[in-house]
Amino acid sequence: MKRMTKGKFAPVLLVAALALAACGSDGGSSSTEAPGTEAPGTEAPVTEAPVTEAPVIDCAPEEGPLKAAWVYVGPANDGGWSQAHDEGRQLVQEHFGDAVETTFKESVPEGPDVAQAVEDLIADGNTVIFGTSFGFQDAFVEVAAANPNVCFEFATGYMKSDNMAQFYGAAEDTDYLAGMAAGAASKTGKLGYLASFPIPEVVRGVNAWTMGVRATNPEATVKVVWLNTWFDPAAERKAAEALIAEGVDVLGQKGVDSPATGDAAQAAEGVAWAGYNTDQSVNYPTVWLTSTVYNWDVYEIPRLQQVLDGTWTSGDYYGNLADGFVTLAPYGDLVSEETRALIDAKKAELAAAPGSQFTGPINDNAGNEVLAAGVSHTFGELMSMAYLVEGVEGEIPAG
Amino acid sequence: MTSEIAVKMTGIVKKFPGVIANDHVNLEIMAGEVHALLGENGAGKSTLSNILTGLYRQDVGTVEIGGKKVEFNSPRDALNAGIGMVHQHFRLVSTFTVAENVVLGESDSSLFMDQKAVATRVQELSDRYGLAVDPSARIWQLSVGEQQRVEILKVLYRGARILILDEPTAVLTPIETTELFKTLRVMVSEGRVVIFISHKLDEVMAVSDRVTVLRGGRTVGTVNTRETSTTDLASLMVGRSVEFNRVVRQTPADRERIVLDVSDLCAFDDRGRVAIESVSLSVSPGEIVGIAGVAGNGQRELAEVISGMRPITSGSITVDGESVQSGRARSAIAKGIAHVPEDRLHTGLAAGHSVEDNFALKNYRSMSRFRILQRQQIRNQSTHLIEHYDIKTPGSETPVRLLSGGNVQKVLLAREFSASPKVLIAASPTRGLDVGAIETVRERLVQAADSGVGVLLISEDLDEILSLADRILVMYEGRIVAEVEAAQADRARIGLTMGGITA
Amino acid sequence: MRSPVRLERRLEQPKWLNWVVPLASLVAALILGALVLWITGKNPFDVYQRIFERGFAGKRAFSGALEMATPLAFTGLCAAVAFRMGLVNIGGEGQFYMGAVGASYVGISLGGSPTGITIVLMCLGGMVFGSVYAAIVGVLRARFNTNEIITSLMMNYLAAIFLNYLIFNSKSFWRDPDSPQFPKGKTLNARADWNTYSIFGIDLPIAFLIAILAGSAVWVLYKRTRFGFEVGVLADSPKAARYAGIRTTSTIVIVMALSGALAGLGGAADVGNFRGLLDAKGIQMAGYGYTGIVVAALARRNPLVTVVVAIFIGGLTKAGYALQGPDFPSGLVGTLQGLILFSAVAGEILIKYRIRTTPRRSEVVA
Repeated sequence: MKRMTKGKFAPVLLVAALALAACGSDGGSSSTEAPGTEAPGTEAPVTEAPVTEAPVIDCAPEEGPLKAAWVYVGPANDGGWSQAHDEGRQLVQEHFGDAVETTFKESVPEGPDVAQAVEDLIADGNTVIFGTSFGFQDAFVEVAAANPNVCFEFATGYMKSDNMAQFYGAAEDTDYLAGMAAGAASKTGKLGYLASFPIPEVVRGVNAWTMGVRATNPEATVKVVWLNTWFDPAAERKAAEALIAEGVDVLGQKGVDSPATGDAAQAAEGVAWAGYNTDQSVNYPTVWLTSTVYNWDVYEIPRLQQVLDGTWTSGDYYGNLADGFVTLAPYGDLVSEETRALIDAKKAELAAAPGSQFTGPINDNAGNEVLAAGVSHTFGELMSMAYLVEGVEGEIPAG
Repeated sequence: MTSEIAVKMTGIVKKFPGVIANDHVNLEIMAGEVHALLGENGAGKSTLSNILTGLYRQDVGTVEIGGKKVEFNSPRDALNAGIGMVHQHFRLVSTFTVAENVVLGESDSSLFMDQKAVATRVQELSDRYGLAVDPSARIWQLSVGEQQRVEILKVLYRGARILILDEPTAVLTPIETTELFKTLRVMVSEGRVVIFISHKLDEVMAVSDRVTVLRGGRTVGTVNTRETSTTDLASLMVGRSVEFNRVVRQTPADRERIVLDVSDLCAFDDRGRVAIESVSLSVSPGEIVGIAGVAGNGQRELAEVISGMRPITSGSITVDGESVQSGRARSAIAKGIAHVPEDRLHTGLAAGHSVEDNFALKNYRSMSRFRILQRQQIRNQSTHLIEHYDIKTPGSETPVRLLSGGNVQKVLLAREFSASPKVLIAASPTRGLDVGAIETVRERLVQAADSGVGVLLISEDLDEILSLADRILVMYEGRIVAEVEAAQADRARIGLTMGGITA
Repeated sequence: MRSPVRLERRLEQPKWLNWVVPLASLVAALILGALVLWITGKNPFDVYQRIFERGFAGKRAFSGALEMATPLAFTGLCAAVAFRMGLVNIGGEGQFYMGAVGASYVGISLGGSPTGITIVLMCLGGMVFGSVYAAIVGVLRARFNTNEIITSLMMNYLAAIFLNYLIFNSKSFWRDPDSPQFPKGKTLNARADWNTYSIFGIDLPIAFLIAILAGSAVWVLYKRTRFGFEVGVLADSPKAARYAGIRTTSTIVIVMALSGALAGLGGAADVGNFRGLLDAKGIQMAGYGYTGIVVAALARRNPLVTVVVAIFIGGLTKAGYALQGPDFPSGLVGTLQGLILFSAVAGEILIKYRIRTTPRRSEVVA
């Protein structure tokens, strides 16, 4: 049974007020509302209770090990998004040993299939279900409403209920650091970036990476290509090859999940690659720089512990460098000692103040001022970013 | 001629579900002879040759080649034993050259063939056997006769000692036939064996050394050609004597009136070339007008144009003064034009459809109410026609393709005649039929004419036209080149006009 | 070449073959599958029991199978209708998308209309979009004799680009303006109108009833009407159709349009009964159009059997999710599903041909 497109939805938007409460970012000044996420009728089943009032859900089994399951949109070994999640699952399994029994369902297409797969998991006795693709959200909301005694953990969505929590983290911080390595590695000053969809999460990545590039290579430009897909190795490779042909000597990516870009870099002469999602330093030693890595277990292990302790409540989580949810993959040989030192210094800075790279003066790539000197984005502004910074070649498509 | 036995088939039995195709058939063929295999449709000739070429396996019986018993599991085994077949329908790739087609499918042909060596060898063979054809020509550029030569070359190239030719003259002009016969004689003079499958008695008499006659899946006998006659062979074949004499008409044609009038007709063929050029003709009620000519001179297109299957580029067609719309079969049918096409199984009939559906092929619209088919009506029509036209079929729902050739044609005729047409176009209506069926079809045509239908009979079989038609037109390269009253027709003269010689 | 076993074309196809062979090939598939499972260290009986339990047996399982089956029934009918005439419409996928676009347009526009009218209008919207989209392929085929396999496949890619454009790259009517950060379709006002009935505890989506209705209608059309007769003759022999005065070009276009209308109806069902919005990414991932071709082939182009086969494939899909996990890779699930499909196709060959065995000796013997 052929599936034409594999993909996942990973955009994130957190309702500003909730997000501020949950991740404790510095936004004292902010009352920004993310527009329209509460459109009437669309989220009927979601209760809007403040986190502090969310009831404790007891989803621990009466006897035997706690059974937890992950649902992936792609193959568990896709070399990207789903694989990163599965590596998290394996770490969870290792951590808890016999106390927790984990399983997963892979290559589940968004739509009616999701509810079928989740219902089967519940029938098999799983009481904690992790959803890992934005497009699963509607189905999860529905199944969560029908199964109030099962805990649902959802990555990269925004709809919550008493038994459905949301989690994600500040990849823009590590994207910035990876950009620094990329900028330092470029000799031509021309870099290329493969992006999935022009949504805030990805736009944030493009901008952070480009600012990182220009931190180490001030005159460099980053050419961005929108692929409009989450996972399409053939298209990714073709786009990467086209960029290389245009004289780009360092490639980066966000939102597109396969390491096909690395393959293209490896096949070319003198091209370096900063990846996304997983550490590929072993598989691509000759081209590897570094990349953002998500440590999903950093969130998942404590959450399952809460289930075991009988203290699990719904909520929002936005991880960062400080708690280790996002980290930088090991450096490749192409990253010099000098650059490493620069990056490490910046890393400490971002760990202390997540999102602080977005501090003025920042102009967009049409020359308009976005942030005046010394002004920072609020969390809400970060979550709805819709401009490209100076240095990015390309534009956000209509829409 | 030596007396060595080249092929010996003994007690061959081959059954298909419900049919015994070969029932203890014996066949003995000497080296160096042209051996004709004669029989009606369904006599078992094809099955026998398919067994000999390894396509089928006999249920019982033995095959010996050069005195050794053989068992073939595939045509390749047969080929290795020196047996090659030239099929009635060619198996050539039309965009490939002659040389490429000759080596195609060779077991030991390497990926890159030595074009030059192959061409030289093909040229050698074609010189030796008088099979004139350019090795570098592409198949689509060749005439049907030339394509047949390629098929023969293919078999010779693979070193076949025993050649089976299935109805080889069906597609040839008289001159090409004569040339083919010469080639066959050269081959047997070298000790090869030719098995010649045919219905045509004259040809069998002309080319073969001996004849084996099959009837109903059994061997009737083997005779020396020199010691027999066409009449004897015909009676062996059908089990009774048949005469082909000029038919006596009961009602003469009404030459005062005209039912079909065609004037200044022009039309293209499938490849967009001019196939019919300024053809004018008329048919009177009750008249049989014969169109003679070698196949491929526009006859098929003429039939298609009149029956509305092919658009005309200029000219007009009228039936009883009412004009028929160009390229509208429905219009032609409505005006009363019946058509028995040359390709019965795939044009005149939908072979995969049942007998009853085929009866309804042209009048299903009137057999429906509110666009829903009235199955009972269709069934009744079928029952009636099966009985009235004496059609041998297991049932009304049997697919037409499972019927024998003669019954297929009867289904077609039954439908066309029962529509009470004013005009009947019959293209090669007896081709490929056995003697008995030919007789029936001819009787039906005459009956139709007697009842006042204007018949346009298109046939390559000159004897047929001479015996049936009132008036004869000769077609050559898309034009009518001669017209004669049948009573005054001179066979030799018509033959010449068919070959493009007008004196 | 020298295999002792070979195939010989059947001159006649006995009627009993039509049901014995499919059953036998299913049994063969189960045995082959058991072998594969046994080699990979699984207990075949446990696995089969689980497929049966989670895919078909019981109210929950069967409800799921019906839900999974519904879109496949429509795309299966789409393929079957075209196959029936010898047209290979690979474009069910794109026609399904277009149907979803048309039906969601209607569904978003309608507010407060009575249930029946909403469903009928949405179905019409889906059918019109799907049929017009497919008719383009039909016209190209009928007028210019372009290969419909290639054009319909290309039209799938076009439809996918169009979908992405509507939801991701434009501020289209279909896109939810209140959710700019997460591009997605507008939720339909009419969603609640598409009921899912509970009959003896089994959830029966109204769209599945529509599929049964559509299947029956197609059956009647092909079996009993003048139009069906004409299609049959055209499929059997285009020359005979021309001879009988059947209009070839218009029939091709109508059949393609009908085929597209069925896929479009599936798109309407997807929007109305299941997703409640135009889910640009989700329906592309599902690949209903392509699976529908398999469904039609398994059903041997019979429209009623197509609906039944859709349930079978739907159940298998659902059971596939139940099977997979860390020690049961989805690849193995795919292998099992593939074996069943492969056996069905092999069975099809056995209906047309029969196997003859011959002794191993093949050389000339003295």
